[in-house]
Amino acid sequence: MFAYIVRRLFNLIPTFVGATLLAFLIAQLVPGDFLAQRALEPNVRPETIERLRTQFGLDLPWPVQYVRWMGSLLQGDLGLSFSSNQPVTNLILDPIRNSMILVLMSLVMLYTMAIPLGVFSAVRQYSAADQVVSAVSYFGLAIPNFFFAQVLILGLFVLRSWTREAFGFNQLLLPVAQMTSSGYLDWPWYRQAWDIFLHALMPAFVVATAGIAGFTRVLRAQMIEYLSSDFIRTARAKGLGQRSVTYKHALRPAIIPFVAGIGGILPVLIGGAGLVEIVVSWPGITPTLLEAISRQDIYVVLGLVVITTLLLMVGNLISDLLLAVVDPRIRYD
Amino acid sequence: MSDPRPEAVIDPSRADPVLKKQSKSQSEIAWEQFRKHRVALIGGGVLIVMYLVAAFAGFLAPYGINEYRTRPSSAFRPPTQVHWTDPETGRLTRPFVYDVAQERDPITFQRVYVEDTSTRYPVRFFVKRPEATYKVLGLFQSDLHLFGVDDPARIFLWGTNNLGKDVFSRVLYGGQISLTIGILAVWVSLFLGLLFGGLAGFYGGWVDEFVMRLVEVLSAIPGLFLLVVLASLLQDPRNPLARAFGLQMNSAQTFLMIVIVLGFVGWGGLARTIRSLILSIREMDYAQAAKALGAGESRVLWRHLLPATASYVIVDLTLAIPGFILTETGLSFIGLGPSEVDTASWGLLLRDATARGISIQFVPWLLIPGIPIFLAVLSWNLVGDGLRDALDPRKRR
Repeated sequence: MFAYIVRRLFNLIPTFVGATLLAFLIAQLVPGDFLAQRALEPNVRPETIERLRTQFGLDLPWPVQYVRWMGSLLQGDLGLSFSSNQPVTNLILDPIRNSMILVLMSLVMLYTMAIPLGVFSAVRQYSAADQVVSAVSYFGLAIPNFFFAQVLILGLFVLRSWTREAFGFNQLLLPVAQMTSSGYLDWPWYRQAWDIFLHALMPAFVVATAGIAGFTRVLRAQMIEYLSSDFIRTARAKGLGQRSVTYKHALRPAIIPFVAGIGGILPVLIGGAGLVEIVVSWPGITPTLLEAISRQDIYVVLGLVVITTLLLMVGNLISDLLLAVVDPRIRYD
Repeated sequence: MSDPRPEAVIDPSRADPVLKKQSKSQSEIAWEQFRKHRVALIGGGVLIVMYLVAAFAGFLAPYGINEYRTRPSSAFRPPTQVHWTDPETGRLTRPFVYDVAQERDPITFQRVYVEDTSTRYPVRFFVKRPEATYKVLGLFQSDLHLFGVDDPARIFLWGTNNLGKDVFSRVLYGGQISLTIGILAVWVSLFLGLLFGGLAGFYGGWVDEFVMRLVEVLSAIPGLFLLVVLASLLQDPRNPLARAFGLQMNSAQTFLMIVIVLGFVGWGGLARTIRSLILSIREMDYAQAAKALGAGESRVLWRHLLPATASYVIVDLTLAIPGFILTETGLSFIGLGPSEVDTASWGLLLRDATARGISIQFVPWLLIPGIPIFLAVLSWNLVGDGLRDALDPRKRR
């Protein structure tokens, strides 16, 4: 197992170099740069521009720039942001942490909702409840998540106007924007955590919808296939109860693709979270990325791409390892 | 659909009774199976209607795509109420609308529109409005519209946005962008996927290794980032591609560029599928037989291997279209899709609802453009699932 992990880690290196190189190349497609933009400002002297250009190494050919950037990356330094003159690391850590809060919460929601739903509709195949689950999951797959977020926000507002008329209760059930309430900084940590949790509930659910819908459908199909297979008949013949047959015998093999899928679902969640972040003004990766792009702050863009790429690759590795735990047929020698 | 081939040619008295009915072709079987899939048929019907509406958007829409008036401003008008009954007699009458006047709510200072009931403006059909000309199917100019009302009244079935542009007309026009972009992007990723997947599966060795690494690298970068960075960089007027097109990209060029970007980001999965299919088909007896009979490499690849992947590819592509539609609307939603100038992608229309200083509770009609996105994606998914079942021999009914 240990040897396998080491081998996998080594295999990640070419992928990582390739991904960063590609990102770097794409960023180089723009002939102008941040400093060219800056040079148009009347109060900036040409000497300042030249000095900055040398300081950032922008006068060098791009392969040299890439190697220099990669070198400092290995020392944990992602370079300087042009626009704010701060280390990129300082600028992007908070957005990445904020996005991770959303993504991890939706991951938890995905598994806690998709697994029971999938098992349920497989056990009650063709029942009314099963049909409802199927129909709803089609809806969940088809609704764009930014639109769904907007609809939910509207729904919360409508709910508030109803409760105001009925009970004089003039509060939104869940917060619909930002990540924290006002006064957040003065609160003790547990209240802060609760506040963030409440703010994350709606967007995290929206991010998870498509995943929940997709997983439920696949798990249902898998469960139906396993429930009619020979080893389940054997288990039943030996007198095992319905519960034991369903959860111990059928669910275990049926769940394998999902464990393997964590690595694949993470980029989808991060990507999907991006649009939702914009709708609810969540201070996450995508708003930061868009701002950095509009300012041509290349090192911030690259920093974000690098960190998320790394996260994805680690996520893939973890899902491979989990797979080994769940599926005894897989040997890693 | 009945069997189009004439059965009468075969003389029934002489023919072997078993052979009397000609055997069905693969596509006939698939179509028969598909027809049994009710939901998929409904999805297909919805799609046909949507594409027709988009094709004839100019005729069905009462206003032009960017038509608006500043004086009096018609910003944020709620959907115009169409009256079907006479307010005096209460009897059914020819539909009409009232003109509205803008006022401010004295307490909340919200904009409110009050109907001016002094004059009725009947809804007229087949009106000519020279202000809003369009090209029928891109061929000839016309200014005939299905319906409209006389000035100064206006008919906004789904309200207006911050500039007073008609949401209904814009949604119809938006379909032209949002519905076609997915289909076009699928061709780009089909081309790349077939090329790279086919090469990797057929030649194996270092070609395979290289292509699979490339796919891995592409999928290692989060797709949204790749899209956003590519789209925004390519739209920058100073980049080499944009300069090749002429300094400022017009909307058709942006459209093309988005298609290419989408296809470029989306081909990896298809390449992987095709590669693994080819790897297994290559070892099958008929492929080996072709090789043994002296067929050249390209003949084996084009005549024997790639056709065998067709049914998977068709299903994969049909199910990829809704994904592309979602991605395009998402890109437009963050302002990186086809530009505002003379297009109206559905994502761009939804963007109006999140503009700064807008509270969605006061302008809920701005969310309407989300519904066609949802419908289109749902229907494509249904059709794709129906096709998959129809083309899978194990699922014959």
